[in-house]
Amino acid sequence: MNAMAVPLSNYIALSAVIFFIGVAGVLVRRNPLIMLMSIELMFNAANLLFAAFARAWLHNAGHIFVFLVITVAAAEAAIGLAIVVTVFRSAKNVDVDDVALMKG
Amino acid sequence: MGVDGSYPILVALWLLPLAGAILNWTFGPQLRRLAGPLGSAAIGASFVATLMLWGSGTQRINTGGVDLVGAHQTLFSWLPGFDFGLLLDPLALIWALIITGVGFLIHVYSIGYMDGDNAFARFFAYMNFFVFAMLTLVLSDNFVGLLVGWGLVGLASYFLIGFWFFKPSAVAAARKAFVINVAGDVGMMFAIFAIFGSVHSISFGDAFAYAGSYATPWLFVICLGLFIGAAAKSAQIPLQTWLPDAMEGPTPVSALIHAATMVTAGVYLIARCAPLWSQNSDAQVLVGTIGGLTALLGAILGCAQWDIKRILAYSTMSQIGYMIMGVGVGAYEGGVAHFFTHAFFKAQLFLASGIIIHALHDEQDVRRMGGLMKKLPFAFVAMLTGVIAIAGIPFIGSGFFSKDLVIYGMLAHGYPWLYALGIVTAGITAYYMCRLLFVTFLGTYRGDVDPSDLGIRHPELAGTSAASTGSEQEPEHAEHDANAQFFMAVPVALLIPPTVLIGWLMFPSTGSGQAENSPWSRFFVEQFPHPVLAATPISEGLTGLITFAAVLAGIAIAYVRYATQPAQVNAIERLRTESTRMPAILRNAFYFDAALDAIFVHTSQLLGTLFGRYVDPHVVDGAVREAAISAQWLGTLVRSFQTGLLRAYALILVLGAACFVVYYALAAGGVR
Repeated sequence: MNAMAVPLSNYIALSAVIFFIGVAGVLVRRNPLIMLMSIELMFNAANLLFAAFARAWLHNAGHIFVFLVITVAAAEAAIGLAIVVTVFRSAKNVDVDDVALMKG
Repeated sequence: MGVDGSYPILVALWLLPLAGAILNWTFGPQLRRLAGPLGSAAIGASFVATLMLWGSGTQRINTGGVDLVGAHQTLFSWLPGFDFGLLLDPLALIWALIITGVGFLIHVYSIGYMDGDNAFARFFAYMNFFVFAMLTLVLSDNFVGLLVGWGLVGLASYFLIGFWFFKPSAVAAARKAFVINVAGDVGMMFAIFAIFGSVHSISFGDAFAYAGSYATPWLFVICLGLFIGAAAKSAQIPLQTWLPDAMEGPTPVSALIHAATMVTAGVYLIARCAPLWSQNSDAQVLVGTIGGLTALLGAILGCAQWDIKRILAYSTMSQIGYMIMGVGVGAYEGGVAHFFTHAFFKAQLFLASGIIIHALHDEQDVRRMGGLMKKLPFAFVAMLTGVIAIAGIPFIGSGFFSKDLVIYGMLAHGYPWLYALGIVTAGITAYYMCRLLFVTFLGTYRGDVDPSDLGIRHPELAGTSAASTGSEQEPEHAEHDANAQFFMAVPVALLIPPTVLIGWLMFPSTGSGQAENSPWSRFFVEQFPHPVLAATPISEGLTGLITFAAVLAGIAIAYVRYATQPAQVNAIERLRTESTRMPAILRNAFYFDAALDAIFVHTSQLLGTLFGRYVDPHVVDGAVREAAISAQWLGTLVRSFQTGLLRAYALILVLGAACFVVYYALAAGGVR
């Protein structure tokens, strides 16, 4: 049986598109919630790539990495949301360009 | 150099004074009056040990064609070439005998002289420490040990000159002596570096065994460095100015350190390095000339002093000039002989002057003395024997024989101008010593005369005090004083026989008239090089006669000026005239102090001001300031990257990642 009905290059292309959507979202949007979502997009682009390669090369390490990334992404989301909540409480505002206390 | 072996007595001789010093330092307050006897006993024991070592110190063994003279013991070895040990050969033995023997007498004298001083134990601790340091100097078998002793005697001298540290003048004198001596130490240090660089060893034996192999200019530099040290320690021109000031110390200190032993260390150094000196005639000419000039200068200045101790200080300088002149040109036996007799008679003179100063309650100006022959007959006898010895009256003054050896040595080694200089100086010496004797002891007592009548300009500076010679004293004090006088009189009495007689050691015993046959010369026969000398136009006996004629002339002038009946009657007027008409050049000691100040002190001050005004604020501070400014500038630059904008950081991250991707894509040879 053919292991992959869809060719690998399609997965890579899709992953790249999703990743750059995420990058653009982080760079362009000023709402921290949207930025966090964009970061999740980047994570999942990477996950898709891991899973695709794992399937293509019949190697389970890729799957293991996907679980690792999901875990890290969950932790990152938790911390990120906590920061957003804290910033909102002190600044009454969620525009990341206004949060520039560390300007040198 | 010496016969190797284990000599426990030698180590004891060396360390006993140190033990005395430590005990006196540690338990001074508990010892109270016992500090003096304890300190004296340490030196006395050391003297006995020296006598016991006479046989070892003079033994001669010939092994493999090499004569080994004296005793040698290695104490410990350090780096290769650095072996430390003790060496007792005839030269070191003579010095050790004087240091411990005369040192012991002066310690006993100090029990009386320092009686009642608050820091009695401290004084004896310093004195014992000095003896230990001086023994280190003369017993070391290597240059580094010698230099250590050299530095330590300078330190002891500093302690003792400044012993009465509440007197600003004493502190200044101590500091001056120390600084000048350290300048000499530096010269010596470089000479030792040069020696070690040549032979890779610090021991005397190695340094002298290859004495012939040094390059001549190099050897001259070595000798010059050693002589700078010797000149500073032995008060030779131009480093002599500290010695008269050093008389601020207590009189026993002047007798032991600044007359008998420490100031003759330079003579010891040159005599010890005779194998080096004999190889370099330039160094011989230089040292001989400086010694001769110092002898003359000291004698001339001795004629112009009024302070009894300063007269003796200048005479010490002058006599050391003789010794340096002797050992400098190669008449080693003569120079060392003069050290030997000088140690006795100069100690005698200082101790006798100490009796006078003590009796007159710290009066030191001879103009305020006079007529003391009746009041202090014992001091007069002691002083008289000393004057006879230093002036060089034949046969009854020990200085005659030794001085004659030096003066004749000048002619024998081919230095007629130094010969003439030595004879002239002998005449001047006789004049100023008789002047001291006559002014002090003849005539009538002048202590109650108004100082300005005597031409004393600054009586408050002259250390004058109410002149009473014991009539108003409390009975208890008088008893105390009698006790002190006993301790002071005994050593002086013991010094009289050697002062008069010790010179006979240098007298030819076989009747051939040649000084080489004297016991003294035989004692040193293996110690010093003996070049073959040309016959001299004037024989040694005739030299003695010429010198004696000069001495008689000096005595006659002094007699006419100070001792005749009219001179004694008009003493006050005479002294006033002499004081007020004293040429400024003599009052200022030929301006050596001013010259040294101008050359060294003012130059250093100018340099210091220059550095303080320009180098420090602009170079040192400037560098620090520039460093701070650059750090600030760098900080400003780096700060501009920190925008605080989260999205800007993200952009930089993305660009950086893009750079990595592009780089690896290209490095891998493009997309496959």
